[in-house]
Amino acid sequence: MEIKDFVCTGCALLCDDIGIKTEGNTIEKTYNTCRKGAARIRGDEERMTCTIKGREENIDKAITEAARILSEANKPMIYGLGNSSLEAQKKAIELASKLSAYLDDTSSFCQGPVVEAILEGKVPTCTLDEVRHLADMILFWGSDPASSHPRHLSRFSYFPRGEKRQRGWEENRTAIVIDVRKSDTSEICNKNFYRIPPGSDGELIDALTAALNGKIPKVSFGMSSKEILELANLLKKAEFGTIFAGLGLVYSLPEIEPMIKLIEALNKSSNFHLMPMVGQYNMRGFNHLLFEKTGYINRVKFDGNKVDHGPHCSVMEVLNSGETDAMLIIGSDPLGCFPKSIAEKLKNIPTIVIDPARTFTSMIADVSIPSAYTGTEAAGNAVRMDGEKVEITPFIDSKKLSDEEILKRILEAI
Amino acid sequence: MASAMEIYQYLPRTNCKECGKSSCMAFAAALLAREVTVDDCPPLKEEKNKENYDILVKLLPPAESASETGMIVHTELCTGCGNCVVACPVNVAEDPYGAGSGKAPTSDKIILRVEDGVVKLSNVESCRRFGPQSRLCSGCIATCPTKAIEFV
Amino acid sequence: MGFGQFISKPELDILIVTHRDIFQNSAYEHSRFSAEYADQSAIIILTASDMKKIGIKDNDRVLLKNKWGKVIVRAVESKEEEEHAGIAYMLNSPWSNVLVSPETNGTGVPSFKRIKATISSTEEKDVEVLPVSKWENQD
Ligand code: SF4
Ligand code: SF4
Ligand code: SF4
Ligand code: SF4
Repeated sequence: MEIKDFVCTGCALLCDDIGIKTEGNTIEKTYNTCRKGAARIRGDEERMTCTIKGREENIDKAITEAARILSEANKPMIYGLGNSSLEAQKKAIELASKLSAYLDDTSSFCQGPVVEAILEGKVPTCTLDEVRHLADMILFWGSDPASSHPRHLSRFSYFPRGEKRQRGWEENRTAIVIDVRKSDTSEICNKNFYRIPPGSDGELIDALTAALNGKIPKVSFGMSSKEILELANLLKKAEFGTIFAGLGLVYSLPEIEPMIKLIEALNKSSNFHLMPMVGQYNMRGFNHLLFEKTGYINRVKFDGNKVDHGPHCSVMEVLNSGETDAMLIIGSDPLGCFPKSIAEKLKNIPTIVIDPARTFTSMIADVSIPSAYTGTEAAGNAVRMDGEKVEITPFIDSKKLSDEEILKRILEAI
Repeated sequence: MASAMEIYQYLPRTNCKECGKSSCMAFAAALLAREVTVDDCPPLKEEKNKENYDILVKLLPPAESASETGMIVHTELCTGCGNCVVACPVNVAEDPYGAGSGKAPTSDKIILRVEDGVVKLSNVESCRRFGPQSRLCSGCIATCPTKAIEFV
Repeated sequence: MGFGQFISKPELDILIVTHRDIFQNSAYEHSRFSAEYADQSAIIILTASDMKKIGIKDNDRVLLKNKWGKVIVRAVESKEEEEHAGIAYMLNSPWSNVLVSPETNGTGVPSFKRIKATISSTEEKDVEVLPVSKWENQD
């Protein structure tokens, strides 16, 4: 069978032009995906097994046990969801509210500040299609799409022709990279690569803002005032600019305000936008849903009708301080991606994991529940890194339950 | 990618000319340009040279990845980003609203497309670098983040 | 550094900058338990002068340690033309996460991207990084 316009869930670009050739339920060929997307679509070799305390069990028992653990806990926490559909995320929010649980996602320690500033209307943003049609200035700050979002430059930001950018990259667009290392993206944007020392992003932001406000910019590292002035002038001449904020930038800025100020300064003469380089395909969707419901994008604790919010509700703090006494993890693998000393604390509390693939965390989980891959096996909607909603239609007939169905059944069992 | 010098190391280096080239070094250059194959050097097929023969076969990308125009894709380096697909002027001319706009290709006449996460060549004869009106084009090379495309 | 006193091998303080890589990420999607993923993750990229300082060659094993843990990885020489003495690169993975501090100063954001550690050449055997099953040795 030939499938057209399939949506790849390999990253938050949610490329929607993927072709697939299948033979029964096996994938023969994928078209137009990047290497990472091709691997994602084929899925993990090792699927999750359904277990209770390391022993294989049927799914009904596992769901009952998960519900028991969560309802008996005093301060349960639900975490993950960046790799789940909006529909599953809604169920998770409902579950957290019913359990008076903590609820957090990856944005808590990655793109949260950027998404928050956008949803609170503190900074202008735009869509990726606008970037393709209009942008003449693209700034990758602490981001390396060639490694993290491989089709970013070819689908939207640099190479394609768009309405007002008929000649594409050669004449119509300028791409700038600011990073602490010579990344693959900087190899392509060679002419406009600025290398800065680790942790000095804030300093350069302030210097650029100063330059745009008519002051003489200064930084403590190897960039001269003249170089900074030239960069500021290059930026402010843009008709339509977008700054793609990567983790390199977010991690080295304690507050997002300086970036907002820089964009304000740029927008006295230009038209700049900020966009987070979201990793997991539907992290932003979770942020949108929780924001609609609570006014916060992440890091909440439900308590009857009240909602508490702040760093003390963040997954890192809650887990590290021993505040939670049971954890439900959906589509995330803390034992692979948290600091080891924090992740190890999961060994001390009952842990439930829901994931299509066997995860490192499943090794220590009390209950593991296999789910279908949203994308190839289960339907749903997701929010792209620019906030656009994308509908995902599966093509493989899987007997596995989706995250949404599993969460629904846990909810019913409580 | 191996250099002519590197390839030369593994040839018999007797300059016997059985391959029809003036020297082993000339044969190495011809190998690199894909004019000849490893099998065109008879002494190399002798048992005592088997080890070197095997090394050379590995060193030189398989024949189908090198087109008759000398364009080579190192698929092991390719990320499938599609930059070359949208940057190639022939792709743009043949398929302005598909491949040329960063979307799924809609034409059979394009040179570069991505399959199974890596770039795939077709219609290489229409590449600007070849044919009677050839001119220098480096669209695909300049836009590749990992230097996966090479012309020999 | 206090813990260096019994080791004669030269140690160097470095700042590890972590980043992502599409090949390693694809290996993760394919199978995170695979040797391929481990091989691509357990690597540190060093600049030539730093390798010289601790007396190692390309592909030698090195010990990385700090207050939070230790891990053994393979050292690979940086391909950047410019030297980056004192700064080393690792990919985000369970191997780099061994060294990430759990302290967030109340922000909830660990310092994943900038990790201080010491590096030295080593003959020690590999440190177990991936979790073992909590349930295997029961009854
Ligand atoms: S860029 Fe992201 S969404 Fe697009 S094909 Fe690659 S992994 Fe999939
Ligand atoms: S046939 Fe082989 S050995 Fe003889 S000259 Fe050619 S390459 Fe050299
Ligand atoms: S050299 Fe030019 S025409 Fe030939 S494949 Fe590359 S980009 Fe296309
Ligand atoms: S630009 Fe390079 S890495 Fe990207 S698809 Fe083309 S050959 Fe592959």
